[in-house]
Amino acid sequence: MDIQFSGVSKTFPPNINALENIYLNIKSGEFVYLIGETGSGKSTLMRCIFREVMPTRGYVEVGGHVLRKMGRYELALYRRDIGVVFQNFNLLPCLTAFENVAFVLETMGVPKKTVNERVTEVLKNVGLWRRRGQYPQQMAGGEQQRLAIARAIVNEPSLLIADEPTGNLDDDTADEIMQILFGINAAGATVLMATHDRGIVDTYRHRVIELKRGRIVRDDPEGGYRADVKD
Amino acid sequence: MSRIKYILRDTRRLIWRHFGMSLLTIFTAMSVFFVVGAMMLFILNVKTTINTLEDQLSIQVYIKPSGNLKAVADKIKTMSNVRSVSIITKEMALERLRARLGNQSDAVTLLGENPLPSSIEIKVDSAAGVPDTARELVTIDEVDDIVYAGKVAEKLMRLSTFVEHFSLVVLIIALVTSAIVLFNTIRISIYSRAEEISVMLKVGATSTYVAFPFVIQGFLLGFLGSLSASCVLAVLYFRAVEAMTELLPFFKMIESVHYLGKLALVLISGGTVVSLLASLVAVEKFIRKAGRPL
Repeated sequence: MDIQFSGVSKTFPPNINALENIYLNIKSGEFVYLIGETGSGKSTLMRCIFREVMPTRGYVEVGGHVLRKMGRYELALYRRDIGVVFQNFNLLPCLTAFENVAFVLETMGVPKKTVNERVTEVLKNVGLWRRRGQYPQQMAGGEQQRLAIARAIVNEPSLLIADEPTGNLDDDTADEIMQILFGINAAGATVLMATHDRGIVDTYRHRVIELKRGRIVRDDPEGGYRADVKD
Repeated sequence: MSRIKYILRDTRRLIWRHFGMSLLTIFTAMSVFFVVGAMMLFILNVKTTINTLEDQLSIQVYIKPSGNLKAVADKIKTMSNVRSVSIITKEMALERLRARLGNQSDAVTLLGENPLPSSIEIKVDSAAGVPDTARELVTIDEVDDIVYAGKVAEKLMRLSTFVEHFSLVVLIIALVTSAIVLFNTIRISIYSRAEEISVMLKVGATSTYVAFPFVIQGFLLGFLGSLSASCVLAVLYFRAVEAMTELLPFFKMIESVHYLGKLALVLISGGTVVSLLASLVAVEKFIRKAGRPL
């Protein structure tokens, strides 16, 4: 799924410029790291792709969809093709781990048997099969994060947006999660991952986009976490 | 087909996993529909009592000796507001007098020849029309005199009009209040799940898919609330009827099970529809808010 930002700016009231004149092209099947300090605009940029945030100026086009013009139903269908790992996980507290992951497939009307098979497979992949009957609030932070990842990948999306997916995880689990994300990418999905983890960006080299005060200050296809870039 | 099954399962989850909130909604619905039902019963009983009094209201028409009772009675039957016409012959009038005198009925023998005149007794449809009917009767040539309880008719007419207006206002207030109370209870119930609604929309659920369980929940809880209100009302009402029969035997309350059953049906279906609409409006409002981009 291609992503295109054309002159996108976003100003939040009263006068906070979260994004300023962003021009960006991400090709289908790319793996891209989004780096930058806290408050640099990474989450806002990702939320624009997800149409949770509407640009003040410019437009975003994802997989041929001009996001500004979408109706409610069309938006729901569009979101089904995108997996999102939210920074605060956004899990449904009244559903068990299994039900949280299954919910995504159920909204699409997938038959129960297929839902059970697919959710079992994904929960095993993220190491949460034994915790399937527990509610999110009964799980540790890292487990909630893995559950959020399981939910994001269960429908094999064409685009995966992950906001700090390894933020609360130990190195081994973070590595496991990265392997899952690379697997999804290898299967053809575009992956956009916001991270502060220098080790991951340096170890697994992919294109890096760095944001500072809402502007792109570095777009490096070679990758690597370099913080010495000037404005 | 799978979607329908998922929606029904989600409704079940919604009710059972938030059982306290469901119970609160049922109890609120029960309370508001109990008040609405009690108002309806009170108003209907007052109206029935007024109708009974109106039924007893009659106009006595005395005919000139030269007049033909049968012909005049036929003419009166064609008039508006006239429900029934009875001819009271001289003999019947004397019998009535005897009955009224009771133990002293022998006193009528002192009258010698029966001096009581023949008359026509008219029962009317409504007390409000009595003065007009009386004016129309006076214009008939054969009519000698008419007697009716003018003041009673006037008071009944005023009371009937007042009860009609009062009942309409009270019913509207009760219905609007119940709809607002129920809407707010359901809104609180949905508000506690606003974050979930927002997440559901973010993972690709359509508005309809998210809204349906809430709407079905509103339908079921409203139905249960109004059904329990009808049951409680029925038990209390029949106890009240028993007590009134002992205390005020002349005061006749509605006892027809068929009629009261119809009333319960109106209350239950009305309650269910109001709850369903309240849920629909509340959830739609949240979905619109949650789906709006920043």
